[in-house]
Amino acid sequence: MNSLPLITSWLSLGSLEPHPNVTPSVIFGLGWLYLILFCMNVAWTWRSYHKGHHIDLPAFAGGGHIPTAAVWATYSTVLMLVSVVHFSCASSPESFWLIMPDFAKTAVDAIVADARYFFAATTVGFFLMLLLREWLARPNIGWASLNLSLLFLTISMTDWDFRQIVGKPDNVPIVAMLFIVGFFTWVFFYRANENDRRAAQGRPPVEAENNEKVLTWPDLVYTEMICMIAATALLMLWGIALQAPLEEPASAVKTPNPSKAPWYFLGLQEMLVYYDPWLAGVVFPSVILGGMMAIPYIDFNKLGNGYYTFNERKFAITTFMFGFLPLWVGMIILGTFLRGPNWNVFGIYEFWDVHKLEALNNVNLSEYFWYGLGQPLPMAPAGSDFWTQAPYILAREAPGFLAIGFYLAALPGLMAGTIFKKFFIRMGFVRYMVFSNLVLMMAALPLKMVLRWAVNLKYFIAIPEWFFNV
Amino acid sequence: MSEPKPSTADILAKIRAQKTGAGGNAASEPVAATPAPATPPVEAQAAVAPPAAPVAKPKATPAAKPGSTSDILAAIRAAKGGGASATAATPSPAAQAAVPVAAAAKPAVASGAPKPSVEEMLNAVRGKAASAEVAATAPVAPAKPTLPPIPVKPPAAKDKKAAVGVDRRSFVAACFAPVVVGFSAMAATSLIWLLDLARFMFPNVLVEPPTAFKIGPPSDYPLGGVSTKWLAARGVWIVHTDQYKGRNLIYALASVCTHLGCTPNWLEGEQKYKCPCHGSGFYVNGINFEGPAPRPLERVGLKLAADGQLEVDKSVKFQEEMGQWEDSNSYVDGSLV
Repeated sequence: MNSLPLITSWLSLGSLEPHPNVTPSVIFGLGWLYLILFCMNVAWTWRSYHKGHHIDLPAFAGGGHIPTAAVWATYSTVLMLVSVVHFSCASSPESFWLIMPDFAKTAVDAIVADARYFFAATTVGFFLMLLLREWLARPNIGWASLNLSLLFLTISMTDWDFRQIVGKPDNVPIVAMLFIVGFFTWVFFYRANENDRRAAQGRPPVEAENNEKVLTWPDLVYTEMICMIAATALLMLWGIALQAPLEEPASAVKTPNPSKAPWYFLGLQEMLVYYDPWLAGVVFPSVILGGMMAIPYIDFNKLGNGYYTFNERKFAITTFMFGFLPLWVGMIILGTFLRGPNWNVFGIYEFWDVHKLEALNNVNLSEYFWYGLGQPLPMAPAGSDFWTQAPYILAREAPGFLAIGFYLAALPGLMAGTIFKKFFIRMGFVRYMVFSNLVLMMAALPLKMVLRWAVNLKYFIAIPEWFFNV
Repeated sequence: MSEPKPSTADILAKIRAQKTGAGGNAASEPVAATPAPATPPVEAQAAVAPPAAPVAKPKATPAAKPGSTSDILAAIRAAKGGGASATAATPSPAAQAAVPVAAAAKPAVASGAPKPSVEEMLNAVRGKAASAEVAATAPVAPAKPTLPPIPVKPPAAKDKKAAVGVDRRSFVAACFAPVVVGFSAMAATSLIWLLDLARFMFPNVLVEPPTAFKIGPPSDYPLGGVSTKWLAARGVWIVHTDQYKGRNLIYALASVCTHLGCTPNWLEGEQKYKCPCHGSGFYVNGINFEGPAPRPLERVGLKLAADGQLEVDKSVKFQEEMGQWEDSNSYVDGSLV
């Protein structure tokens, strides 16, 4: 076979396309990924075979039974074939067809590249997860979800921009973290569902029935030691395999673009886009920490102590998980994978264009109010002193003060009479006020985010003269 | 231990109720010491203890009331409801109950009051139903009479310490105790370190460029341009624009975002300063319009020096929202170009 076409194709690839979607090494690597997926699924097929579960076919398909193992075996075979295709076609990337199609990229980008849709999708997904928890927590469904997410990751790797974001040494652990978060969420629901079923049958939870005790030494200490050794080995391998993403020497007048906080602070950085530094950087983090410490004193539900459950602690678990998954992990995803140059939002398959234009003309509440009335902002005569200015400034920001006052002072009372009536009766005044203010502060972030995206609201109260903005 | 028995507090309360005022203190003191010995390991010792009680020290306070032991015994008996029941033959409650008796016995002995023998006391406490094994251990016990002096040690130690406190020489010695020397040295070192730190804040020589510097003639900065020439070295943009209140001005903007202090980038194509940290944007004239920045970029001082060059003075700042941009030190008339 003549090798000339191969050489020319390589040359053209190198010279014409600076950001190739697929290269021979990428295809080769993906072949290995599919092979690993295949091995994982062979193991799962073996497990399925020994469990001997069946899938009932719907009536229109004949209504018979199919062993679950047969489904997984078929899937594993397909994975192996795909892997073989990758290994055999690695030499001709320009004609490789097993890539993420453009229409799919456009569709995904249309959702994630808009913070409104991204937040709506994570929130809706969160509540769907709660609703479908019985179904999602089945082992086969959990395994299928893991496979789907891995397949999505794998096939997305055929996009140059996606590879740049996900493959950055900074971001690799965040990808791993997403899978770990998913796994532990699944474990929680799996165990909680089992205990909830038991509670419905009037049986004690698993933890109460099988509370066989083991010894600290050697059972626990050995486990801990093995975990410690494994974690150390992992860190060493990681340190050798992925180079530290060092940059040029720091300069006070040069800020990297985009400039990102450490991944665990990306939620805070996202919060800083919507609130003033003293709030988003000082008050809210303190409220988060203090609020978490206050949970045991606020909580009056005696159930769910020492065992997994969802049904017995619906409100507590939903509130916590909403704060953790869409508001914290979701913001980490947004900050890591979607925020690009100039802190604009980019799709996961979108090129990080420094000159991407996004209309962000923000308007303060006071401006909305006074201009809406057709009046200029109340302004003190030029050159007046502090005491002359103060009443003008306060009058200018009166709508914001009223809104915040209503939100933090009046709303708890209204909620006590309506949706939190039972809570108020059980908690008493002081505990209820602490609780309702914590909930309102937590809700303040998504509220401001939505207002920013929907009506470009900048600050409820904007007093730059006194460095006071809310 | 499920069987109800009189707690030490019960016993004390009963004794106090029977006593009148002053004399009570001394007698109740030894009893108060009993909670500690009432732990299981001591139970055996308590069973052994009674024979040693007669050997009690002469040091014990003579103020103890002669009647105190019998008071205790009476209280115990009352609480036990006329002796232990048939099933309550376990040694532990009985032995435990014996502990206060043993401790309380010493002052009684010292004061030379009529005293019941140890066997009497034990029998009284245990009642007639005391089990055979307890009875068996009791006779064995007298073989080791040297055990009990342990409780006497604390008062002796206390006396010694009190003596040290009043002695002048030992006061000096206490001042040179290792712990005092150590903490004093640490405090002194910390103080010196703090003073040094304060001194460090005012260096003799400041190795940084002077805050005032010349940037060339105004003709270097044509109308409608933002110069990034001095950004890397000095952190200022030189702006020549008529976009602020329609006046033709040259001024210097500090390259510090008013949100959290990152350095924004001047985007020529978009004609705006855009911060890479949280997306704040500023118009060419420095006024904020997008993102979270709450106020415009700050101007620094700019004047026309005597030699016809522009001179930037970074030691002064002018904030638009405070009306300071009207200050004539914050700009130079652009029509000079």
